[in-house]
Amino acid sequence: MATQVTVKILRYDPEKDKKAHFETYTVEADPLDRILDVLNSIKWYQDGSLTYRRSCAHGVCGSDAMRINGRNRLACKVLVRDVGGDAGKKIQIEPMLGFRILRDLVVDMDPFFEKYKSIKPYLINYEDAPASSERYQSAEDREIFDETTKCILCGACSGSCPPYWAGPDFVGPAAIVNAHRFIFDSRDQGAAERLSILGEGEGVFRCRTVYNCTDACPRNIPVTKAIEQIRRAMLYNR
Amino acid sequence: MSTETKTTQHTHPDPVARTTRRWTRSGGRPRPTGNFELFSWYFFRISGILLLFFALIHLLIMHLLNNVDVIDYNFIVQRWASPLWRTFDIMLLVLALTHGLNGARVLIYDYVHSRGWRTFAVTTLYVVGILFIVLGAQVILTFQPQIQSVAK
Amino acid sequence: MYHKFDAVVVGAGGAGLMAALQLVGKANIACITKLYPSRSHTGAAQGGICAALGNTEEDHWEWHMFDTVKGGDYLTDQDAAEVLARDAIERIIEMEHMGLPFNRTPEGKIDQRRFGGHTRNYGEGPVRRACYAADRTGHMILQTLYQQGIKENVTFFNEYHVMDLLINNGRCVGVTALEIKTGELHTFHAKAVIFATGGFGRAWRVTSNAHACTGDGMAVAYRAGIPLMDMEMYQFHPTGLYRIGILLSEAARGEGGILRNVNGERFCERYAPTLKDLAPRDMVSRFIYQEIKEGRGAGPNKDYVYLHVDHLGKEVIDAKLPDITDFARTYLHVEPYKEGVPIQPTAHYAMGGIPTNIDGEVILDEKATVLPGCYAAGETACVSVHGANRLGTNSLVDLVVFGKRAGLKAAEYCQQNDWESLPANHEARSKELLGFVNAGASDGKRTEIAGDIRKDLQNSMQDNVSIVRNETGLTAQMGKLQELRERYGRLRLQDTGTKFNTERMEALELGCLLECAEAATKGALERKESRGAQFRDDFEKRDDVNFLAHTLAYRAENGGVKELRYKPVVITRFEPKERKY
Ligand SMILES: Cc1cc2nc3c(=O)[nH]c(=O)nc-3n(C[C@H](O)[C@H](O)[C@H](O)COP(=O)(O)OP(=O)(O)OC[C@H]3O[C@@H](n4cnc5c(N)ncnc54)[C@H](O)[C@@H]3O)c2cc1C
Ligand code: HEM
Ligand code: SF4
Ligand code: FES
Repeated sequence: MATQVTVKILRYDPEKDKKAHFETYTVEADPLDRILDVLNSIKWYQDGSLTYRRSCAHGVCGSDAMRINGRNRLACKVLVRDVGGDAGKKIQIEPMLGFRILRDLVVDMDPFFEKYKSIKPYLINYEDAPASSERYQSAEDREIFDETTKCILCGACSGSCPPYWAGPDFVGPAAIVNAHRFIFDSRDQGAAERLSILGEGEGVFRCRTVYNCTDACPRNIPVTKAIEQIRRAMLYNR
Repeated sequence: MSTETKTTQHTHPDPVARTTRRWTRSGGRPRPTGNFELFSWYFFRISGILLLFFALIHLLIMHLLNNVDVIDYNFIVQRWASPLWRTFDIMLLVLALTHGLNGARVLIYDYVHSRGWRTFAVTTLYVVGILFIVLGAQVILTFQPQIQSVAK
Repeated sequence: MYHKFDAVVVGAGGAGLMAALQLVGKANIACITKLYPSRSHTGAAQGGICAALGNTEEDHWEWHMFDTVKGGDYLTDQDAAEVLARDAIERIIEMEHMGLPFNRTPEGKIDQRRFGGHTRNYGEGPVRRACYAADRTGHMILQTLYQQGIKENVTFFNEYHVMDLLINNGRCVGVTALEIKTGELHTFHAKAVIFATGGFGRAWRVTSNAHACTGDGMAVAYRAGIPLMDMEMYQFHPTGLYRIGILLSEAARGEGGILRNVNGERFCERYAPTLKDLAPRDMVSRFIYQEIKEGRGAGPNKDYVYLHVDHLGKEVIDAKLPDITDFARTYLHVEPYKEGVPIQPTAHYAMGGIPTNIDGEVILDEKATVLPGCYAAGETACVSVHGANRLGTNSLVDLVVFGKRAGLKAAEYCQQNDWESLPANHEARSKELLGFVNAGASDGKRTEIAGDIRKDLQNSMQDNVSIVRNETGLTAQMGKLQELRERYGRLRLQDTGTKFNTERMEALELGCLLECAEAATKGALERKESRGAQFRDDFEKRDDVNFLAHTLAYRAENGGVKELRYKPVVITRFEPKERKY
């Protein structure tokens, strides 16, 4: 069933290149192969210098977010046939926008993680926890923030967001999603702190409701909805 | 912990991150802006909805029901004879300008990053905006019909 | 570059993070990881983490301990199993307090579900013991612990690849690491080093493990003279997605999922009348192997069976098994609401690893001599709490229970001891290794392609050292590994860059895989019995007279296994019995 797949990849080696440029590869692949498998086969058998991050290979670690045919996707969650690679369509792969390119498809994730840290992504509760039991939480309360607990910090959402491309200081959708996960957790008492951080100039009000993030999220998190819920919380809970 | 531990030095593992860390500098984020951003966002939405109403009626009357060639001095005079229409137009003026200015402000925040240029651009915007509102309001409010003299 | 810390934690998965958190405030620490912490493979764990909380039905830690011992086919050290079962309860509560969003019972307590091999009253029937957060329990544990690390300001060195363990005057004194982004070599001088680098599942073709699971910690320790224990005990999980091996958690069967062969028969009933589909993993994997061998597999090659969850209904599936059903849709284009999902056993978990005592201190021989300053926890360590077969959900417990104990012990050690000096030429071994790898890009005589060596390794391990083993296959595999090691010596690389040279990193990882594979194969060859994950069709019986003992493999100076030694199993409460379910 293997077919020939053509892949066009944006390459950049800081030690050699002044500017990024495209290179095209032809690879033998199965329609059910992941794009990550295609990249691996290029790296292992054609060009060992092709550089990208990867680990889990099934969409749970968030290493390999990149631009595939113009949209941010995890390379390990897109199959060749999902993008018509087996039907002769050329597949174009680039690093995500909005991040500094370190090499080929690898971008600098440090600022992204700094933004994540800035929204205090940990449970804040000023009372002592019960000595030998869990804090109780109803199944309904647990359900409220269920979706945003799924985030794997891949960056696909932030890297698809026009205000994030434009403004280097915008916290970005990923950080907001993670703030949501705590703000709406009934056990958390840090909502006010987080809302005040997000209410500042570079917080949720940079969002222009473009919905690119929601489209990009490989975990199907309704990102835009989460942002909207936070803005409403600010409006109604002042 | 031995005392030596305290003197142990280590450099930040990532020199690049150190320089790109604008976000965390000065103990966290850019200076707090209070509730201003919230209000501006809310106002955006409200003014948008109101504009839908005002701008459409404006469009209807000025461009669809009446053609540009019937709109002359007299037309305005008749319309502004009623305080209702004066209020309508002033609302439209203020809403459209503040809504538009707000949009432009947001755009400036997106694309103008240096502090100096940003202040300059926003200040200019506000000055021009206020100027237009004042001029427009003055015309609408202080307008005295002088039908006779102009008619001939 | 030179760094000095009280303690260095290598690895930021569940075990590494838990250990690091214990050192906060007590010692100056660094956590070094080749991936961003949130990318660690702990995040892939799905089904649950067990503790005898008794939230939904009666349960006791003694029952949990018994199941762990029996599940491990009595190779489990019982003092360790006791610690695991007792501490599990506190650790789960502790993580809940840290914010872990467990699923809840109607009263608001942590919900629990069934899992393979976990029973009530010493084997009477399945019990609900696994605490879970949908089918992303590991993800939530990893996130929660990483978040605590952020809160406590742990210093992370992300994307630093640890290459060597430094030992001087009989004490562990630090590690060297390659900074991937710059290609620079760093030395971390420390009083204590904690290894938590995870498993080596990438030695097999069909695996649930990440590309990064290459046994680096085990190999680094092994090369530094530390033995590896019970490496032949490698678990194959029954339900991996056909062909690619992505895991479908046991939770699917815990929630009522059923395995069926091509005739639609629920074959587990035949082999394990009491626990059926929820028998321990080694057994269910062998049931599947047997079905396929006897021609009852499905598909054109008759090489898979089906996992059915369609009878559970859309609601249960969406609430409790959303991710794994999504995998079936994404990767096989199969709709689990309606049809069975093609599955086959997949390489999953290393019961063996760097030997430690119950405080996470690394030990050097059958007398349990401690290497001061050296600790290990998590999948890379072998306490041994899983014996010859790990029960589902027991690994996540292992991470937090022994991660914590190792961290606490290391903190104590740091407070009581000063730095030992670094050995002379402490970077020599790392530089030699790097020099060897780098030369692959310029030396024209080197012609071997890493991809080919890796493929040959994975295929041969799959054929010879998987669910069913025997003398012929294992002997052949020893020869194969020798050949692969020689070929590795002629490795060719293309990337001459220093910055973010991942080809070089993969080459180092391949070297580690070869070390682990060799220890595992040798251990399996010499263990002439069947026990847990080690099933020999030439020695089908368990042999408690000769092999109720842990294998310790020592490495020869120039590669290869120098010798095997055996360490007796600790037995406290439960005398070995035949394992029936
Ligand atoms: C798909 C899947 C599902 C599972 N489900 C369950 C379950 O439901 N219940 C259960 O109990 N167990 C489960 N397990 C098992 C369990 O998840 C793992 O055994 C456990 O997460 C391993 O954790 P760890 O902390 O030891 O290692 P990992 O989480 O693998 O972390 C290893 C860390 O070490 C670092 N590292 C590795 N090498 C180096 C190096 N050379 N230099 C620097 N850093 C390095 C990595 O960056 C990483 O941070 C599952 C496993 C898999 C694969
Ligand atoms: C029919 C009437 C109008 C409606 C319903 C409307 C609605 C909106 C809404 C909902 C937004 C987005 C606010 C947000 O970010 O959440 C917006 C943005 C904006 N509006 Fe309007 N508006 C109207 C008329 C106008 C007029 C007349 C002007 C110009 C004077 C204007 C200028 C802008 C600008 C500049 C933006 C910002 C664009 C951006 O974010 O990139 N709008 N409008
Ligand atoms: S919200 Fe979705 S897209 Fe954004 S970082 Fe999290 S998982 Fe990735
Ligand atoms: S490799 Fe882990 S998300 Fe793709």
